Amino acid sequence: MKIKKIAAAMSGVVAVGLALASSPAVAAASAEALLRAKCLACHTETDAGFSRIADQRKSPEGWLMSIARMQIVHGLKITDEERRAVVKHLADTQGLAPSETEGSRYALERRLNTMEAFESEQFTQMCARCHSGARVLLQRRPASEWEHLVHFHLGQYPTAEFQAFGRDRDWLGIALKEVVPDLAGKLPLESEAWKAWQARAPQAVDGEWSLSGHMTGRGGFSGVMKVSAGKAQDLHALSFEGRWDDGKPMAGKGQALIYTGYEWRADLVVDGTPMRQVFALEDGVLRGRMFLRDHDEVGADVVASLQRDGNARVLAVHPAYLKAGDEGELRIVGSKLEGEVGLPQGVSLLETVRRSASEVVLRVRAEAAARGVHPVTVGAASGGSLAVYERIGELKVLPAYAVARIGGNGTPTAKVEARFDAEAWDAGPDGQPGTSDDFRIGVVPARWSVEPFDEVAVRDEDVKFAGLMDEASGVFVPGGAGPNPLRRMSANNVGNLKVVAEVQQGGTPVRGEGQLIVAPQRWNNPPIP
Amino acid sequence: MKHLKAINNKAKLLEQAVGEDRVEEVVAMSAIAGCTATVDPGWEVDAFGGVASLCQPMESDLYGCADPCWWPAQVPDTMITYPDWNKDAANTREDWRNLGSVFPGDKL
Repeated sequence: MKIKKIAAAMSGVVAVGLALASSPAVAAASAEALLRAKCLACHTETDAGFSRIADQRKSPEGWLMSIARMQIVHGLKITDEERRAVVKHLADTQGLAPSETEGSRYALERRLNTMEAFESEQFTQMCARCHSGARVLLQRRPASEWEHLVHFHLGQYPTAEFQAFGRDRDWLGIALKEVVPDLAGKLPLESEAWKAWQARAPQAVDGEWSLSGHMTGRGGFSGVMKVSAGKAQDLHALSFEGRWDDGKPMAGKGQALIYTGYEWRADLVVDGTPMRQVFALEDGVLRGRMFLRDHDEVGADVVASLQRDGNARVLAVHPAYLKAGDEGELRIVGSKLEGEVGLPQGVSLLETVRRSASEVVLRVRAEAAARGVHPVTVGAASGGSLAVYERIGELKVLPAYAVARIGGNGTPTAKVEARFDAEAWDAGPDGQPGTSDDFRIGVVPARWSVEPFDEVAVRDEDVKFAGLMDEASGVFVPGGAGPNPLRRMSANNVGNLKVVAEVQQGGTPVRGEGQLIVAPQRWNNPPIP
Repeated sequence: MKHLKAINNKAKLLEQAVGEDRVEEVVAMSAIAGCTATVDPGWEVDAFGGVASLCQPMESDLYGCADPCWWPAQVPDTMITYPDWNKDAANTREDWRNLGSVFPGDKL
């Protein structure tokens, strides 16, 4: 299968530590005792372990959802602390190898504006009509367990068969005879990748991490994250100090728990706001997304590397673009940034403002001849690039398609914002956008607005009711929940909008467009959509 | 379709889509992670990718549709999974503010 989301108490963070015993053996023993105490009322012991449970592998969030369903549907009584211990144990012993999550991490990272596209139309129809396809792709089961999942859906959601055109075709036959074998073949319980991953030595994480990020609607940031051993196995204390590209400082503290040897989940409070990190750890690099714990649509792409020998890397250049003929300040962010700075030809160094192992700040000048995207290195550290552009030929709105959700207005369900970036492209030497010599400049400031997407949106005055776009930041705040008596049929403040970004190039406007659906609330919000 | 006559606007739109051979396009317009969009009507978008043919306002007949698991991934079904979800909102036209999220307790 090819695969082309504010204030909460810190008590939850503290509880993560309390949930775990002080040594791995004790932790595993207590988790196993919990499994025995909590699950054996329904599950039975088999040679492989507990029935059903032993035949599945999942992400930490997947296991959390399974246990939550046992609470909701089957009356399981379990405390949050106990649940965390069980999830940890199951994710460690029956998790997914890193390669088995490739292409589906957007779901764990709560990137809920990801457009899913699967090669198999049957898979899309069978699974991804109601929930994300990634929810399925982040599980591994033998055929008998995939079969149980089909029957579970019929039992739990008995109308699913009819909604999936079960009157017009042999839906159950297709599900059991075609989809089950397909899933069992592609997403099997046993895999070489999992065997190899289980045999791998634990990865080092304690030390100083250089970190670079970009938050849509706010901008870039970088800094240093210090990680130290916590009070339990796989638990780490962390503190972060950095600053936004506009110079404002940012700082946070919290703790991280590593599941399955690489699934980094941290809760931290950054400048008074609870945030969460969902990263994957691999070879001294952490990569993923950091988002507001209670507004997961507000988040940042993050990459970080550990300061240690043999881990010289350029993570990013802030900003990653410069206009030909202009002078500017560049911040190269990475680890082990030692040695000579390698700038592209045509980019001259005017001044080294300051430098450390994690950051090199330079004043440079870009000549017209340097037009293009070029690597930036520091000694042995590579991985960064700088775009020198002549003019913005094309502007792309990212995400090109987004969903915001009405909320608030006296309800317990918060509004879900939509946030956009304007990604600028240089049309290249031929001056024609959409040709092979185009290159990406980067995310640029733009003037933001919304328009009706189509004639129906004009008629229903979606722009007036669906919410407000902030002209400077590209942050759209949807309207309030509830029937709106001012609208036709007292419709909700839903809408179908065109999102417009505009920049001026020598007096000529360059426009980019995207689409925004302002949808009703979603009340069922498990960690994997 | 030739034996059926469209008697409302939605049906006319459907007929139009069939006439313009846009049915495949309608089905393909779908899959934003975790949205129920291809069920007609979806929770987020209708069969045409817009919002005009959604059940609106959704409070007017929410349970009529959501109870039988029409959008179970977005709206808690009270038929089986969340029988008490709407205990404080028997009349959605009046009590819509009492509907809340269902995932139990703290997350990871």
